[in-house]
Amino acid sequence: MLPFILRRFAQAIPVLLAIYTITFFMIRLAPGSPFSDERKVADHIIEAQQAYYGYDQPLLVQYFTTLWQHIRLDLPPLTSHVGLTSADIISESFPVSLELGLWAMTIALALGVPAGILAAARQNTWLDYTPMSLAMTGICLPTFVVGPILALVFGIWLQWTSVAGWLGPVDRILPSLTLGLYYAAYIARLIRAGMLEILSSDFIRTARAKGASELRAILVHALRGGILPVVSFLGPTLAGLVTGSFVVETIFQVPGLGRHFVLAALNRDHALIMSTVLFYASLIMLANLVVDALQILLNPKLRYA
Amino acid sequence: MNEAPQSPWTDAWRRMLDNRLALCGLGFFVFVTALCYLGPILYKLSPDAQVLALESTLPFTRANLVEVRFDEEKTSPDEVTTLEDFAEVYALDPEVDLETLAKNGALEIKGVFFQTISRFHLLGTDSKGRDILARIMRGGRISLGVAFLATLTALIIGVNYGLVSGYFGGRLDAFMMRFVDILYALPFLILVILLMVLFDGFHLKILLIFIAIGAVEWLTMARITRGQVMHLKEQEFVTAARATGVSTFSILTKHIAPNLLGPVIVYSTLLVPAVMLLESTLSFLGLGMQANMASWGTLIKEGQQSMRSAPWQLIAPSLFFSATLFAMNFLGDGLRDALDVKSENQ
Repeated sequence: MLPFILRRFAQAIPVLLAIYTITFFMIRLAPGSPFSDERKVADHIIEAQQAYYGYDQPLLVQYFTTLWQHIRLDLPPLTSHVGLTSADIISESFPVSLELGLWAMTIALALGVPAGILAAARQNTWLDYTPMSLAMTGICLPTFVVGPILALVFGIWLQWTSVAGWLGPVDRILPSLTLGLYYAAYIARLIRAGMLEILSSDFIRTARAKGASELRAILVHALRGGILPVVSFLGPTLAGLVTGSFVVETIFQVPGLGRHFVLAALNRDHALIMSTVLFYASLIMLANLVVDALQILLNPKLRYA
Repeated sequence: MNEAPQSPWTDAWRRMLDNRLALCGLGFFVFVTALCYLGPILYKLSPDAQVLALESTLPFTRANLVEVRFDEEKTSPDEVTTLEDFAEVYALDPEVDLETLAKNGALEIKGVFFQTISRFHLLGTDSKGRDILARIMRGGRISLGVAFLATLTALIIGVNYGLVSGYFGGRLDAFMMRFVDILYALPFLILVILLMVLFDGFHLKILLIFIAIGAVEWLTMARITRGQVMHLKEQEFVTAARATGVSTFSILTKHIAPNLLGPVIVYSTLLVPAVMLLESTLSFLGLGMQANMASWGTLIKEGQQSMRSAPWQLIAPSLFFSATLFAMNFLGDGLRDALDVKSENQ
């Protein structure tokens, strides 16, 4: 296990370096600069600003300075938030995105797993067809359609929840639902397929023959294997939750990292863009590593391969 | 098509005809495409004509309007206004003028020409008085057009990459697939979003969208093609071709490529809705197409902003968009079953 983890860490380094390089030159090639302003600013002020943020150096020198700053985690001051560094912004807004993501994941598992088990256990009855048609709907409807429609129905027409914001517990409901429903649908389908395959296998027949109740056969014996496809789906899910949070945070005006990322790009805040991209990339790769490690732990076939 | 009834394509077609959901998907897809491309012939309202007096009218509204021309020869009116505004602003004697206008359909007051028109807004108007159905039809052309071109881009890159990698194998294959793995690990959508924001207002932005989407979506296509090619190249007919001295290029194009058609068709059908979704997400975030190139994502965004007072502005484009995604997914699943392609991803 340890060599596997170490190898993955070693592989992450060139990927992060590639992301850093692509992002650095993409930002610099793009039109617009952090010092352009609608007002006319005197040249010597712009020069002083550029010197302060290190923009007076040759591009290649800047490339390595910024790289070194990120390796030491000594982040440079931001152009769009005076006196703050990217670390301040990320530590302030990432918990919000994380909370949203965790609620969404909870909803996805709480709805998806039981629905999938039920559909598999009662295959080809209405208990199978109803959740599976709903799941198909959930997969086809994009977040930015579900979000506004939920806000319209529950926020405006029924007035049960708020339409936007992130203050009280009520504000958590719609964003988490919007983000979670798609994954609930996907998980339900994965569990159903996984369970159907396992329920027809020999060891389940043995368990039943030895007198295990139907409930025990399903929940204890079959679920262990049936849940495997969901574990391997968790990696892409996390990446999806990150990008999904861009949309959901925009719809419901949630002050999370996704919104800061889009705003940083709009404000041409190069330092914040770079830190956020590297942060997201590390997060996704770390999540993939955890998921792969979990899979090896759960699946005996992979462990001895 | 082949005379023999057992041709795999006729066989697949027969299986397809049995799948009702897939046929519904195909039907709806044809309907939406026809509506978006041919609809404007019958439904002549312009998607850009703003009539501020007619903002946010309900669906199924017939509006009687007055076109104002300061020069009789002009084809497009200088202003379009309501009967009330005409009576208030232009008429010398409101009652008499309104009556003459109603009787003749046209009127001239001090060198200004007025003409009555009647407009029917099937799905109502948006917050600037533009017809929603006309906007949906043009938005659909943009969404579908981008989806097809981006899918084609992904298809061309992915299939060629997979062909070379799978056929030549060995070190080249290992290197090429390692490259794909590295790209898979990149948080691509984050970079796409960054690209869209940073190059905002760039006049070739639509090109950037194709490049960005194509760059994300060709990877899976390359993997699927490679797997298929690795299987095909071991078959007897390829060995026979090689033994009789057919050039590598001919083997690839004449013997292997035609056998890739099934999986490639299936995956492309499923790729089109995925690309539509990506493009509309970008547009929804305000990063995609600009004002007069409003795709369905943009329309949904605008609808969300005015859903409080005019919910149909959100519901109408959302329905079209979701139904099209549904249809394409059903069609793709149906094709996969009919052509008996396994959903392999390696």
